[in-house]
Amino acid sequence: MNKILTTITISLLFTLLISAQTTNQQNLKAGIVFQKTQSLYWENGVGFDYSSANILDNKIHFKATFLSSRLGSAFNSNAIKQDNFIVGADWRFRSEKNLQIMVGLNTGVFKAHYDDPIFDVLPSSTILLSAETGLTYQFKFPMSAILSVGYNLRNGDGVGIPGSLFPVFYKLGFYYSL
Amino acid sequence: MKNKTYTLFFGILALMLHSCNPTPDIDDAIMLDGNQIFDLSLTQPEKYLVSKYMPNPTAIQKEKPVIIAAHGYSATTFEWDELRDYADSAKTFIVSQVLLGGHGRSYADFKKATWHDWQSSIMDEYIKLSDLGFKNIYLAGSSTGAPLIINMLQSGIFAKHTTPKAIFLIDPIVVSSNKTLTMVGLLGPVLGYTTITLDEGEKGKWYIYRPQESLNQLMELIDLTRRQLEKGIQISGDLTVKVFKSEIDATADPVSAVMIKKGIQYEPSLNRKIDVEMIHSDLHVFTRLRGRAHVKPSDVVNQHKAFVEMEDEMLKSTIK
Repeated sequence: MNKILTTITISLLFTLLISAQTTNQQNLKAGIVFQKTQSLYWENGVGFDYSSANILDNKIHFKATFLSSRLGSAFNSNAIKQDNFIVGADWRFRSEKNLQIMVGLNTGVFKAHYDDPIFDVLPSSTILLSAETGLTYQFKFPMSAILSVGYNLRNGDGVGIPGSLFPVFYKLGFYYSL
Repeated sequence: MKNKTYTLFFGILALMLHSCNPTPDIDDAIMLDGNQIFDLSLTQPEKYLVSKYMPNPTAIQKEKPVIIAAHGYSATTFEWDELRDYADSAKTFIVSQVLLGGHGRSYADFKKATWHDWQSSIMDEYIKLSDLGFKNIYLAGSSTGAPLIINMLQSGIFAKHTTPKAIFLIDPIVVSSNKTLTMVGLLGPVLGYTTITLDEGEKGKWYIYRPQESLNQLMELIDLTRRQLEKGIQISGDLTVKVFKSEIDATADPVSAVMIKKGIQYEPSLNRKIDVEMIHSDLHVFTRLRGRAHVKPSDVVNQHKAFVEMEDEMLKSTIK
């Protein structure tokens, strides 16, 4: 199941890149994303955002994001290396304005690496499911910023979900229109 | 319209303030949280603390392995009673059961205690035993007792006194299984306290009510411990660290063991790693079976194996 979702995520990413040409009708953005989980790690990475005037008049945005603690807290420390492959969709209120309000749902795959076979008995991967809301600002030049807060509806419980998947996260992203 | 809005706003505000920090309904007669039931170590410390019942140890007694056993959050010395029974029977080592500060007393005491207060009981007993001349000191921490000991390890206190020979961590908590704890700073003032359910045999041995102030302290302690482990805590080859962790644990997330194994490291030249054993169990603090409503035969085996392993380690590393 996790493999299927990973494949879907990567496929969507490439589909967006290849098929979407930035025109007046379509808008593909790429950028960097910083995520801080409440009481846990920084997980940073890259993100893509696609919207089109033909799809609900740019009110809905499709996203694909890769975040990893390797690019954050686990860089040069003993923090657990963990990766998030995320796809999702946002609804934008005030989509015609520079300052927009977004609400969205995400899914994807979370994978933690414990680096020791003794921990093979523990769950190390799971399907992500999160809700997110925040503000996005479209600058006059082809860049936008998103500041959001989210909640992982599935989070570590000491039983079947990796324990280093915490519920609350804050995200900051900077995107450039391609 | 404007007046109505203000009335509604202040009404909601008043309701929120009223519901903030509510006081739990405590039954003094049956609850540890009340003012009638206390941990026995408070009235009979000489039965629990080695420093109290051996205040003038002989040369032979100073050679005897002594293990300081620290219990978990909201628990009491009861959590280590079975290890003391084992030691009394084996006669190869002695157990000093410390009661964490703010524990085993009352809800009011628990509410105002910080994690430094919890830790001070372990520190005091360790320093006393060292000053009394005990040569073979060991520490065991279950659940929250573990991060308190890890913090001592990081503080460098062991270099100033008789260095412990080994540290045993049983179901250590660095990450809580209940992730709502990460939001205690936000939700705590509204909730005031949380409640746990105890088995019949556990009543009077654990606090039932957990004030948000102490939950905040718990979160502060485990968050600090996690960050200390991320930076790395280096130990010398003289110290053995053994972690026992239940594979399934609804209180202390098993990923805590991963963080401890990655975070506590021997000097690189020793090419050695601390020992972590994952226990096929779904109990939190699998070494404590007394008072539980349901105990499986495998639980008894796990407990006995852990006690034997701790005893073996103490006998192996004791100075003859």
